[in-house]
Amino acid sequence: MKIYATRSSRILDAAINIVMILTILTCLVPFIYILALSLSSPRAIVNNEVFLLPKDINVESYKQIFTYPNFFTAYGNTLQYTIFGTAISLFLMVLFAYPLSKSWLIGNRPLMKLVVFSMFFTGGLIPNYLLISYLHLTNTRWAMLIPFAINPFNLILLINFFRSMPVELEDAALIDGLDYFGILTKIILPLSSAGLATVGLYTAVFFWNDWFNGLIYLKSSQFPVMLFLRNIVNGTSMVGDAAGAADKSTIGISIKGAVIIVTTLPIIAIYPFLQKYFVKGVMIGSIKG
Amino acid sequence: MKKAFVMGMLLTACMLPAFANGTSESASQNTAGSKIKFSMYYSDNATLPFKSDWLTVKTADESANADVTWEIIPIADYQTKVSLALNTGTNAPDVILYQTTKGENSNLALNGAIVPISDYSDWTPNFNARVKEMGLTDEIDKIRLKDGKFYYLPSLYDVPFYDGGPIIREDLLEKYGLDAPKTFDDLYHVLKVFKEHSPDSYPLTILAGPRVLYRMTMPSFGISLGKNSASGTNTLSWNYEEKKYFPGAISDKYKAYITYFHKLYAEGLLDPEMADPIDGDKWSQKLATGKAMATYAYYDQIGGVEGASTIDGFKLQMYPALAGPAGAHHQPKSKTGAGIMFPYKTSKRKDFEQIVRTVDKMFYSADNAKMWCLGVKGITYDEDANGNVQFVDAAKNSPEGIYKYLQTTYGCGSDVTQQVWINKREMTKYDANYAQINKEVEDMGDVIQSIPPTPKFDDAASEEAGLYQTPLSDAWERWNDAFLTGAKSIDKDWNTYVAEMKSLGIEKFCDIYNKNL
Repeated sequence: MKIYATRSSRILDAAINIVMILTILTCLVPFIYILALSLSSPRAIVNNEVFLLPKDINVESYKQIFTYPNFFTAYGNTLQYTIFGTAISLFLMVLFAYPLSKSWLIGNRPLMKLVVFSMFFTGGLIPNYLLISYLHLTNTRWAMLIPFAINPFNLILLINFFRSMPVELEDAALIDGLDYFGILTKIILPLSSAGLATVGLYTAVFFWNDWFNGLIYLKSSQFPVMLFLRNIVNGTSMVGDAAGAADKSTIGISIKGAVIIVTTLPIIAIYPFLQKYFVKGVMIGSIKG
Repeated sequence: MKKAFVMGMLLTACMLPAFANGTSESASQNTAGSKIKFSMYYSDNATLPFKSDWLTVKTADESANADVTWEIIPIADYQTKVSLALNTGTNAPDVILYQTTKGENSNLALNGAIVPISDYSDWTPNFNARVKEMGLTDEIDKIRLKDGKFYYLPSLYDVPFYDGGPIIREDLLEKYGLDAPKTFDDLYHVLKVFKEHSPDSYPLTILAGPRVLYRMTMPSFGISLGKNSASGTNTLSWNYEEKKYFPGAISDKYKAYITYFHKLYAEGLLDPEMADPIDGDKWSQKLATGKAMATYAYYDQIGGVEGASTIDGFKLQMYPALAGPAGAHHQPKSKTGAGIMFPYKTSKRKDFEQIVRTVDKMFYSADNAKMWCLGVKGITYDEDANGNVQFVDAAKNSPEGIYKYLQTTYGCGSDVTQQVWINKREMTKYDANYAQINKEVEDMGDVIQSIPPTPKFDDAASEEAGLYQTPLSDAWERWNDAFLTGAKSIDKDWNTYVAEMKSLGIEKFCDIYNKNL
């Protein structure tokens, strides 16, 4: 059967398309602009000749940031924190969320309340710092990984995701002789790729972007690259005691642009690969009758 | 799936011990006879990224027989890191560079988190010698806290630099037959002529935002207010004749000041974007493309703009401070600057004396003081029999200039590590023009006044002053913006403003300051 578009539906389609295109442009134009700046000569930028296309294309800014003494170390650190942080986080959250998704388990409710409590109330900076310090985690890379392994918000997402699984699936698996660990690894996890991808992405983005914890808990050789980015983009526009010195020094916007591109591109590049997990209808057809 | 899952977890578990390094740092205690080992915080500016193999750093380490673990902290977050280290006492480094006892640090010092280094003056012979030589004994007394001690070894300046001020297009002044401005009225006239010739422009712009303009121009009106005010109070100012604080924010001096700048704003002579911090590139853009022809900024920065502009004959020149109702003044400066601090923890080390002596030698010995400025004789410069400095060709021919070349290549002249600043020695690194302007300013007399004394607060007074400071400062910022842009009328709303500041306790705030001098 052929569906003929009515006039009103065509107008609606056009309106939707325009809104979508505007949304895409809002996200894309600043990024392209920064990219163009990072590839242009300082002379062209100062003379206001750059908009969406780079002028006097060169890669000097990129060369320059690659010669910063600690850039690659910091970059490597961030990669480590993101990969291992996400792995540890997903592992612990799956093991925590699965039992919490079973409301009939004894102790479920008080535990759940503790989780929710920690979502709204934290110890504050100094107590947290002292805790990490007394655990001898400061100046070790564990300080980046362990304290943030379980994020209550992501945990609740995961719990709800597991809860939405039809209980009949597990019943069938139990009848077939699987234990709960088997059900988790053989039935639940394979069906949870959408949930895991979502939570995994949130976690990866958190670890990638985190600079503050790196600053306070680590020594400088372990700093993540985001601290580096922050110093270049923000370090020269500050107020306070050091402002006199900072006002004197300016960093070319092409270098700022290059650092922004280099430090944000990898995490942005992950999205398309995870896209398929978001759209796949995992549960369709898993139950018959 | 199960296999892959378990394998993945095992792999993760195996990799993790690789992270567990770094705990061995606490074992940095010195072993007798060998080099002395200690750690040091360094505030790293992205325009001058620290390199551990800089000639200056290596020379200083070697000359003092030190093995320093340099902890390079980004400047944007330096204070947070230092504050955490001092507040918690754990994980503090042995030495912290680039610190003063203003603000939070003074409380930390009085509560024992910082070593009162004045108690150990026998261990800092080089520092003592430089202070005496440069005649700064009185200046050092100014950094003493309520208990009469000082808690850091400051950097020392014999004559403060005139490093920034009004910078104007010299070629345009010539073209329009104008003299270089000497007073703020002259400046108004010059800007007016600029505007007439290019009506689309905003002739006066400011780098980095209004605070630079305020701190460089207010002293000529007898006040210093705002986020970088000389007193650090934001709303009080110092009366240099009577030697006491007065509520500058509600004084007639401020009224005259804001009236003048409102006039510039209203007539389109002042860049309206200055309310937001204007970053370096936008600022360069405005000047290089002729959208602005005058600015308040620093001398270091004008070279880049001149190089980039495509306008024929483009020439920027910095001029001495302009005269206002209170004379011609630049922002007040102290002859002491941020310096070296020892956290309390360091004093518990057995080799504490040796650390202090080593640091003293690294930064204040006559040889090293010169080395941090000029580099190493024979490598970066040579000297004739009369002591005249001649830099090597690589430095002289460098397109970025001697000063910048020595900075980035060898680490000379980083204000984090250089503690001794002799004006005459510094000027050898700059072009003749800059030295000339500095000479002119020095001859004008007290253009650069000294920073007002910091009151010697105890904890309670400091707490009380803090309670007044923030609301007053916020209110001033709000009103100041409104007055400048004309959102509030200086004539009609002035009394309401003064009443609000008084109700927020500006007079009481001023009393607390004057009582604790």
